[in-house]
Amino acid sequence: MVEITIRKRLQTEAVITQRKFFKKTARGKVVKVLRERYLRDDVACGIEGCRECSTAMPELLPFSGALDHQLFPNGHYLLPDTNVFLAQMDLIESHLFNAPMILLQTVIEEVRHRSLPLYNRLKALTKSEDKRIWIFYNEYRSETAIVCEENETPNDRNDRGIRAATAWYNTHISLTRPPIRGHKQMPHPTIILMTEDAANRQKAEQSGVASISVRKYVEGMNDANQLLDLLSADGSHEIEPTKAAAGRQALYTDYLPASALLAGVKAGELHQGHFNRDQYNYLEGSVPVPAFDKPILLVGPENMNRAVQGDVVVVEVFPKNEWKAPADEVVDQEAIQRNDDAEDSGEEGDVNGEEVIAKESRVLSGDPSQKTPSERQPTGRVVGIIKRNWRAYVCHIDSTSLTSTLTMSLSTQTVFATPVSRLLPRIRLRTRQAPTLLNQKILVTIDRWDSTSRYPEGHFVRALGRVESKEAEQESLLLEFEVPYRPFGKAILDCLPPEGEQWVVPPKGALDVQNIWRDRQDLRDVIVCSIDPPGCQDIDDALHAKLLPNGNIEAGVHIADVSHFVLPDNSMDSEAAARGTTVYLVDNRIDMLPSLLGTNLCSLRPSVERLAFSSIWELTPDAEIVSVRFTKSVIKSKAAFTYEEAQIRKDDPNLQDDLTNSIRLLNSLAIKLKAKRMAAGALNLASPEVKIHLDSAESSDPIDVEQKELRETNSLVEEFMLLANISVARKIEESFPQTAVLRRHLPPPKTNFEKLQDILRKTKGFSLDVSSSGALAASLDNCVDANEPAFNTLVRIMATRCMLSAEYFSSGSVAKDTFGHYGLASEIYTHFTSPIRRYADVLVHRQLSAAIGFTPLHATLHSKSHVERVLDVVNRRHRMAQMAGRASVEFYVGLALKARGEQAKLRGEGDVKEEAYVIRSFRNGVGVFVSKLGIEGLVTFKRDTQFDAENYTITVPGTREDVKISVFDKVVVRIEVEKDKNTQRGKVKMTLVEPVDSSAL
Amino acid sequence: MASSSISKAEKSYIQAGLLANPPRRADGRSLHDFRAISLETGVAPLSNGSARLRIGGNPHDGSGGTDILAAVKLEVESIQGDALDGGRIACNVSCSPSAYSHLSSGALEDLQYDLTMVLHQTLSHPSLHPKNLGIIPRKKSWLLNLDLLITADAGNIYDALFLAARAALWDTKVPRTRSVEYKSPKTLSSASGDMDIDQDTTSGFDTRNVAHATDFELPDYWDEGEILEGRERWPAAITLNLVNTVHFLDATLHEEASCASRLLVVHSYESPTSPTVQSIRLLGSDELSIPHLKNLIKEAESYTKAMVTSLTAKLEDENFRRNQKARERFGKRK
Repeated sequence: MVEITIRKRLQTEAVITQRKFFKKTARGKVVKVLRERYLRDDVACGIEGCRECSTAMPELLPFSGALDHQLFPNGHYLLPDTNVFLAQMDLIESHLFNAPMILLQTVIEEVRHRSLPLYNRLKALTKSEDKRIWIFYNEYRSETAIVCEENETPNDRNDRGIRAATAWYNTHISLTRPPIRGHKQMPHPTIILMTEDAANRQKAEQSGVASISVRKYVEGMNDANQLLDLLSADGSHEIEPTKAAAGRQALYTDYLPASALLAGVKAGELHQGHFNRDQYNYLEGSVPVPAFDKPILLVGPENMNRAVQGDVVVVEVFPKNEWKAPADEVVDQEAIQRNDDAEDSGEEGDVNGEEVIAKESRVLSGDPSQKTPSERQPTGRVVGIIKRNWRAYVCHIDSTSLTSTLTMSLSTQTVFATPVSRLLPRIRLRTRQAPTLLNQKILVTIDRWDSTSRYPEGHFVRALGRVESKEAEQESLLLEFEVPYRPFGKAILDCLPPEGEQWVVPPKGALDVQNIWRDRQDLRDVIVCSIDPPGCQDIDDALHAKLLPNGNIEAGVHIADVSHFVLPDNSMDSEAAARGTTVYLVDNRIDMLPSLLGTNLCSLRPSVERLAFSSIWELTPDAEIVSVRFTKSVIKSKAAFTYEEAQIRKDDPNLQDDLTNSIRLLNSLAIKLKAKRMAAGALNLASPEVKIHLDSAESSDPIDVEQKELRETNSLVEEFMLLANISVARKIEESFPQTAVLRRHLPPPKTNFEKLQDILRKTKGFSLDVSSSGALAASLDNCVDANEPAFNTLVRIMATRCMLSAEYFSSGSVAKDTFGHYGLASEIYTHFTSPIRRYADVLVHRQLSAAIGFTPLHATLHSKSHVERVLDVVNRRHRMAQMAGRASVEFYVGLALKARGEQAKLRGEGDVKEEAYVIRSFRNGVGVFVSKLGIEGLVTFKRDTQFDAENYTITVPGTREDVKISVFDKVVVRIEVEKDKNTQRGKVKMTLVEPVDSSAL
Repeated sequence: MASSSISKAEKSYIQAGLLANPPRRADGRSLHDFRAISLETGVAPLSNGSARLRIGGNPHDGSGGTDILAAVKLEVESIQGDALDGGRIACNVSCSPSAYSHLSSGALEDLQYDLTMVLHQTLSHPSLHPKNLGIIPRKKSWLLNLDLLITADAGNIYDALFLAARAALWDTKVPRTRSVEYKSPKTLSSASGDMDIDQDTTSGFDTRNVAHATDFELPDYWDEGEILEGRERWPAAITLNLVNTVHFLDATLHEEASCASRLLVVHSYESPTSPTVQSIRLLGSDELSIPHLKNLIKEAESYTKAMVTSLTAKLEDENFRRNQKARERFGKRK
């Protein structure tokens, strides 16, 4: 008889084989989780040439360990504790830090439990080639596995496990290297337990395990000076307690425990939101929350309570009688905190600190009673932080905070780093390289912000390069807006067609091995052309139109078939999803997809066969849609025009060829489509757009700035893209009501317009009807000042700023009546037309392709939560990309201004002067908009002025008599670019020239 | 509940044996002897407490005998409206169809319902209620689900059920929770522009006073938790099988079929000296006189006491085996 045995694990061994823990779910249930553990004796130690452990892995730790550390001449391996990774990740990531490391499974799991971002960095680290890291699965090796004792906390248990593993390694090494007779016994390398936890070190010493703190270890390294700067502030206080930290007076209130915050938010007594600091007044911040129409105002540093731009904070709202209105003054952080000393700020009895506090409180004590109650908004204070959104910030070292500027000096100095972004506080850091870092852009991360310290403390990560060098500026811009700009990796490039540049659409029939022609319509004979800005390389759309025999018109929009090349769920797809969008800078483009696709295979170049996704309508001559169909196709564009070329061609009556006629046909339809859209209440919004003329490709020094010109053909392309987007949105929403990728623009809350309405009424006598987008469009059209042609544009720009930004969403995630696009006055909208540069379009392509039965829909696109997650990233990247683009323009405008100023000086002329409009008034200055340059600036007065907050006017003493300046007034400003003497930060400085010269004020 | 109907002759033979002097039982036991009971706790690792109990199984391979699995599962429950605070207990008994292969599904359900009611009514009585089943007063509490599965029935099912229930409840650990709350500060300190916050900064968050707590957290996710409060109180049951004037304990199926009525007495021993009667049930058709009943309850009390003492000893032993001994063995193995 066959004998059957059941290899069942004995219940009696449960305490060893099972790990149990409880978990509280999001819905408030408590779940018991059980993990089975199987112990084995063949988990390899990972040391090269170990006679016990054989492993097929190629990357092993060197046999003799690292020999270059002063303290360990016999060689050593490093075994870091969890807290090393939690606090000193920057150090470990440094290329100078290359000791062979043993990474325990316990440590990995603990890091993952404590911080997911750090866990991901750690994972990336273990894969990088310049690190020698061996992951040892200590919980699965029978000798090193441990069992939780009674009344032992998880933390203690893990520490014990780490010590046990260290001890095992030491014995393992000595056992596997027995003395050989006749040979001199070499001392064995040791395993060093690196931990920041003094108690753990003590216990390790007791059990005979060598241990060391991070600082001590780094101090003994060859590159100690550079590495010591990377140490985060977290670890430093243990070694050198900064002067009586405990005795310091707390400047901020302590945060409440996380659980209490959640309870308060749940009960509706506290509010959660993202913290935003005011860009004009560093002493104020705001937190938009759903419970109030207006964001909650936070006045003064102690109410902002150490929140940093972008943090998710919890706010407590004061009772209504303590609500305030935002201050109407420009408060410059640098001006007030100039004399603050980095070494001892925040300590008791520090004179400079008192001075700063006194200045700040003077600014804050402005009399709130003169404010109208209507301007008051909910006011509160930060009581806790849900999530810090700290990242590495681009900063300059403040030269005045240096005590020694000798380049030779290697002493540690405490200095201030001023972030490039105005929304961030100064960061205090200790560095030995301070003198060499002056005039450089550097990257700094915040480590902590104690309640006793006025400024957050951080550490230096790396230098980006000299201030104003193109490379440093560009990299800092990308870092500042978190644009992923690394070149595409091999795994991603492997997803491209192997033919590379030689890839062509195969001929129809037998040679089409990949069956590319399946279900594709042959549109190669259709007269298709593309119209794009000059120099466009990634042509993702093309158009055609022709008259049908029945008098109707067939119009087609052909979009590059990116989803044919970018398949779901491969590494190219996930990279594109992570990048979200292509980022356009003035002199550079950060692609979302490898350039082989973007500028070649998916670019609808003329006279080349290309795969496309076509949307083809039958329209009546009045531009009513008769029918629409979508199909994958193959097209061959006949020509690629710039807007200008297309315009000239259309306007030339001598040309009567098919191509020109089809442009004319498209144009006539576009005009009607636009009229219809406007009638439906679409907004004609304006945002300042300027074009930078680059001198030549090599130097890329701008010589001038001019406003972008809009032609009829711009509008032609735009109308058809809108038409395609709307038609596609309808189709995918109908096919996938739960997960269709759509784009919406929520109507702005009425309160957003209050201030603009008030200004318009008081200064110009116009009223703005914001009840609907149509009403707003109409009343915007009425805001015309015959003397000031630019006035209308200005109002539009200001109205645009009152609106919310459009966003991508998944159709199943929000109520159907909020699908609408406010600005376009369309009840449904999506993005379909630029899949080369926007990831949302790629998803829409996949969904449309499934909707027409061309391909089945990938499983991930059926999952609402997955689509939501992807779109969250895309939305954020999109916003960041816009900001990065704007910042890049700003930088070049600054360069252009500087060049212009220098040229003017050479010619002996005066400074650069431009006309500008006042867009905001403050107690001590005015905000102006220079329409010709598309930049905004601030004119501040040092002398007192009369400020009338009710009527938005400010009265300035003039040469003969006082001059009154109100919002929307035209002024002339002198524009200079000056470097901040301390931080080397380039700054556009504006002073009034007309109606009054403010340089003396 | 007898799984086999027996003939009149068999019945009278068994009865005669029980009434004989000295009494004779098929397995040679005396009237008040129990069959061997085996007990194991912690058999269902995902539950909060569990036990497996067997009465009269073959000592070599464990086959035969009454076999019961009991498990306790705690569930977080939101208290709606004026519902009782401090948690609930819900018992449920299921009978495996293989244990009662002769019963139709309807009859099986009746039987399950019957057993569930006896157990639930006794165990969910307020006098036995453990005090640590509340999480947040008037907001959240634990619902203790006690599930028992009868996988085999070889007689004396009531005693077995109560024993198994007691063992599982004894083994139960309640996860430790800490309630959190937000209490709005009564007086807001002036929040204007001075940075001097040296004033009284007592936190508005006092987790000891839980009057307004809305949520809770698990302070130590690794900890199994604390034992149920008052686990000594959980009662034990004794079934007295009555034949004429004599009674005998731990009847096998055939013996059950041959006695006309049975008396189930459930005692709780909070203190060893003064047991309280938690429940009494007379099964069968015979009538009992009050003095006889009183006498029987007295008898039952002494049997229960012996039973509880040995059960408690065994449970402590189990606890030791599962934790300390296992750890020691693990330590030695290296």
